[in-house]
Amino acid sequence: MTRWNNGRDEVEPVSPDITDETNALPARYFTDPDVHEMEKENVFGRYWVYAGHANCIPEPGDHFTRSIGDREIIIVRTQDGDIEAFYNVCAHRGSAMVEETPMTDPGNASRIQCPYHLWTYDLEGELASTPKSFEDARLNPDLEDEDVSPVDPEENSLMSVHTDRIGPFVFVNFDEEPMSLAEQAGTMKTELESLPLEEYHLSRRIVSEVACNWKVFAGNYSECDHCQTNHQDWVKDLELLDSELEVNDYHWILHYKHREDVEDEMRIHDEHEAKFYYFWPNFTVNMYGTADGYGTYIIDPIDEGRFQLVADYYFRDPDLTEEEETFIRTSRQLQEEDIELVERQQRGLNSGAIAQARLGPNEHTVHRLHRLAQEAYEA
Amino acid sequence: MTHHQQSAFTVACQECSVDMEPDSANEVVDFYRRHRRQTGHDVVLTRADLEFEPPTADDLVTVIADLENRYENGVPIGIVAATMSERGFSVGETLDEIYEVRMTGALYEPRDDHLAAF
Repeated sequence: MTRWNNGRDEVEPVSPDITDETNALPARYFTDPDVHEMEKENVFGRYWVYAGHANCIPEPGDHFTRSIGDREIIIVRTQDGDIEAFYNVCAHRGSAMVEETPMTDPGNASRIQCPYHLWTYDLEGELASTPKSFEDARLNPDLEDEDVSPVDPEENSLMSVHTDRIGPFVFVNFDEEPMSLAEQAGTMKTELESLPLEEYHLSRRIVSEVACNWKVFAGNYSECDHCQTNHQDWVKDLELLDSELEVNDYHWILHYKHREDVEDEMRIHDEHEAKFYYFWPNFTVNMYGTADGYGTYIIDPIDEGRFQLVADYYFRDPDLTEEEETFIRTSRQLQEEDIELVERQQRGLNSGAIAQARLGPNEHTVHRLHRLAQEAYEA
Repeated sequence: MTHHQQSAFTVACQECSVDMEPDSANEVVDFYRRHRRQTGHDVVLTRADLEFEPPTADDLVTVIADLENRYENGVPIGIVAATMSERGFSVGETLDEIYEVRMTGALYEPRDDHLAAF
């Protein structure tokens, strides 16, 4: 068994599994294009994945689109106020219908209409109307108008995607029979739903492209052994030794204690700490101790060596105060520091020199991330 | 993104205050598309080392026709964006203009994301 790869041997994992807490996921799972393709189904096609925030689409007909793996979906507020998700694919000839519409700039429509042949769906996804050309056969000499079979609205409705919510956070699941979101989220659901998350509004979205595998960044987010040396400005107000990394089935929480108590009005939660939730596979909720607001990250893979970091910030008023602007700048500084680290790690992984990393005792959260990946790959 | 060697291109979203150094001109356009999908923001080229003097023509079709002499089987759409950025166009504005002109039939794509003029 070798941990290193000297370039003469095939890169092999040290152990066939990663049951030992010091074993990381073998390195090729961070660099192999085939793994990226496989993850589209085994990870992003099976688990609950964050789609967006309900507050961004408050009125019936409000919608945004989202691409997850190769799937493009529409998330829409229905007539009765629910939120539904549909594949952005017309039941007629498979055309994509709605133009890309970001959550930061949602669209509004009373109907979902395919621009190709004008098949039109209601906000619940049911086919509402087709043009006259689907009711008569005037161009077909072999068919009488009365023999034209009508288009069944239900059979030709849009293909829906499972949706569920944790407070205002909308999740989707592409599996035919997924586990419930409540099961996947566990205590995170009840904890977050005890907070007035819906009273806060999207104030800023910062999207960066990072040159590393999405799991490399996820691993970095999940531990703070690197903080003392790499986030020196941030940690000076923290009691790192009093912090705690709590591992649950599909999520883990990083609790950071502040060196001094933070005023009550500076946060939305009761604890005298900051709480950072990582929710498998690629979503985080960032409960700050020093701002009356919260943030989320979406860690969206582009390919095996790149991902998009979508950082959203929520405050009571979408118009930011100067303090809130400063807070976001500080958060961005942390991202830049982390981006430097994870891109460096990816370079090392890409070199092929290491077959499998070795995790430390305070990286049990990283191990959980890697175990979940392994379970997904083997399922 | 952090790179040790300076890339020929740098593209930035001013609203997000983020930038990246793509490996090729067409990666500029890929970045724009991904970024716009998430944010609705336009992006601008803040550096474009084209290694040649860009055409001086004003209209897009003539610019592309000029550039075609340098490329086989179409001009990379990112090179067109880089050329137009010299005239103050954002990537989104150039792509919108390309779409408008393509719809007139004066441009076509001999292969994906490469342009040629009739």
